[in-house]
Amino acid sequence: MTAQLLLSWGACLLYAAASAAAFAYLLTKNARASRAMFMLMGAGLGAHSLAFIARLILFWEYPENRWFLPVNSFFGALSFLSLALTAAFFVIEARKRLGILGAFVLPPAALFLGLALLKADPALSPLSSELRSYWLNFHPMVLMSAYAAFANAFGVGVALLIQERQIKSRKPSALCYRLPSLDELDALNGKIIAIALPVLVLGLAMGAMWAYEAWGRAWSWAPKETMALITALFYAEFLWLRYAAGRRGRMPVYVSMLAFTCMLATFFGAEMSSGRHGFLGGK
Amino acid sequence: MKLLSLSWNHRSRACAAREALAAVPIERVLSELKARGFPEATALSTCNRFELYAAGTPSAAPSAASLLAVLEELAAAPLDAEAEIREDAAAVSHLFSVAAGLDSLVVGETEILGQVKTAYEAAKAAGMTGKRLNVLFQRALFVGKKVRTETAISAGAASVPSVAVQLAESIFGRLEGKSALILGAGAMAELAAEHLAARGVSKLVVANRTWERAYQLAARYQGEAVRWEDFPAELERVDVVIASTGAPSVVVTRAVVETAARRRGGRSLLLVDIAMPRDIEESVHQIDGVYLYRLEDLEAIVAKTMASRAEAMAAALRVVEAKTTEFNAWASSLSSGQERSLKHS
Repeated sequence: MTAQLLLSWGACLLYAAASAAAFAYLLTKNARASRAMFMLMGAGLGAHSLAFIARLILFWEYPENRWFLPVNSFFGALSFLSLALTAAFFVIEARKRLGILGAFVLPPAALFLGLALLKADPALSPLSSELRSYWLNFHPMVLMSAYAAFANAFGVGVALLIQERQIKSRKPSALCYRLPSLDELDALNGKIIAIALPVLVLGLAMGAMWAYEAWGRAWSWAPKETMALITALFYAEFLWLRYAAGRRGRMPVYVSMLAFTCMLATFFGAEMSSGRHGFLGGK
Repeated sequence: MKLLSLSWNHRSRACAAREALAAVPIERVLSELKARGFPEATALSTCNRFELYAAGTPSAAPSAASLLAVLEELAAAPLDAEAEIREDAAAVSHLFSVAAGLDSLVVGETEILGQVKTAYEAAKAAGMTGKRLNVLFQRALFVGKKVRTETAISAGAASVPSVAVQLAESIFGRLEGKSALILGAGAMAELAAEHLAARGVSKLVVANRTWERAYQLAARYQGEAVRWEDFPAELERVDVVIASTGAPSVVVTRAVVETAARRRGGRSLLLVDIAMPRDIEESVHQIDGVYLYRLEDLEAIVAKTMASRAEAMAAALRVVEAKTTEFNAWASSLSSGQERSLKHS
């Protein structure tokens, strides 16, 4: 347990340091800060992966938990979300050479992991019989991958709003020339959401199938289910506004951010949620 | 070592000497100096600067009077009244400042570095550089680069057309594959076209009330000329519009831009109005995804750039000073026989 917590703390501090380096890069355009960000983030990702493996080993010490993933608690879910977020950042921004967006994407990663360490109970317990289904390895994982992608889109969206305001103001500051171009940010924001939305819908469909298999009822309008549906609808609204209606400017971005807020409510609203999704409460 | 520099630049009020010198090819200057037995010399000639650097040993030092005499003969004009003459450390620090763009009319401009390089290469090819000038000029190029990367002396765009290009890049990213519409065919329109073409804008469309002039400008940049009545249709397709017509009133109205914007499928549109009086209706800036920059906006950005470059001046001068001291230490070690090494740091 201590190894897992130490590694998690290490990862959290490394993410925070990487965020600081990303901000330094944003403010000074010093290439060393950008390299430092990637190194710190890489080290954080490594430590975090090790922490996840350590947690998995402990989790599997309960024979009934064998081969299931430890996302049945608030701590496990938050930590996995943070891991997925950073990994998604690696895949999206590092490949697109938009490391500068680390300033907007990495702070949430540090925040989620920090929240897990400070506010959630890392204790492990045997899975209840109703959670012991192969769906446990798919339904929450697929959803959290979508969440991680949406968090990246949110970071891109923040940069997009800043850049739009800079150019619309007619008094662009040095920041304007450091950020990626407006069209690049717009395209990236749209692309991430266009890819993540089907993943979100897939995750929801998996949940429905799991519910149907287990209880014979696919959808029960639980708060978490309803909120997730609203999230999906807002993201769909964004895609419609941006691509079908051809709207530009800040308005579509605000809609995508509203959708992100709904996503956060879906995830953190678990405490209030009743029934099967309440396990995220960590109690 | 003994180093001497003679320069004529934008600071001198009269430009007769500079003009006379600009007409003399530097190859002629170098060959003439070589013929007269000067061992090492480099001449730098640009549109607003002429500089001559000559090096020798303390025992066989070149004299300013003899160099001036050669130049006056070649330029066939009196030159000494406007010449700035520097020796040794002052000459070294001057060359480093020139290479760094600190001595340029537009502080921090980057063209001068290439011009210093060309001057050095010409002297080298003419066999007019020895150890002293080789090291001096390689050092100058190094200092020029160092100052530009380590200080903000070259940051930002310093002219109206380059600001327009920079804005276009902030909106669209790389300009390859983008297209621009030029309204008007005057000098400003041409300058804008030149800058956009240089940054890779792949399609230029020119519209002008006089078809012939539109056609001529378009032809110079492998662009396409369209009839004046057809420019609203082009607004749906292009990414950047540069307006600089001599029209007495607005030619691009909000209604026209709104219609075009609806058909653009959410692609951004940058409108640059450098005409006086204005060509584009001010309120188009309120349309989502449409960005209108007027001449005064671009000028304000240029002024901001120049102010921040002026602020960076002190830091740049510190680099130049430090590198001058380093070079002088090397130069005196050369005379004492125990040569020090110069590191690229």
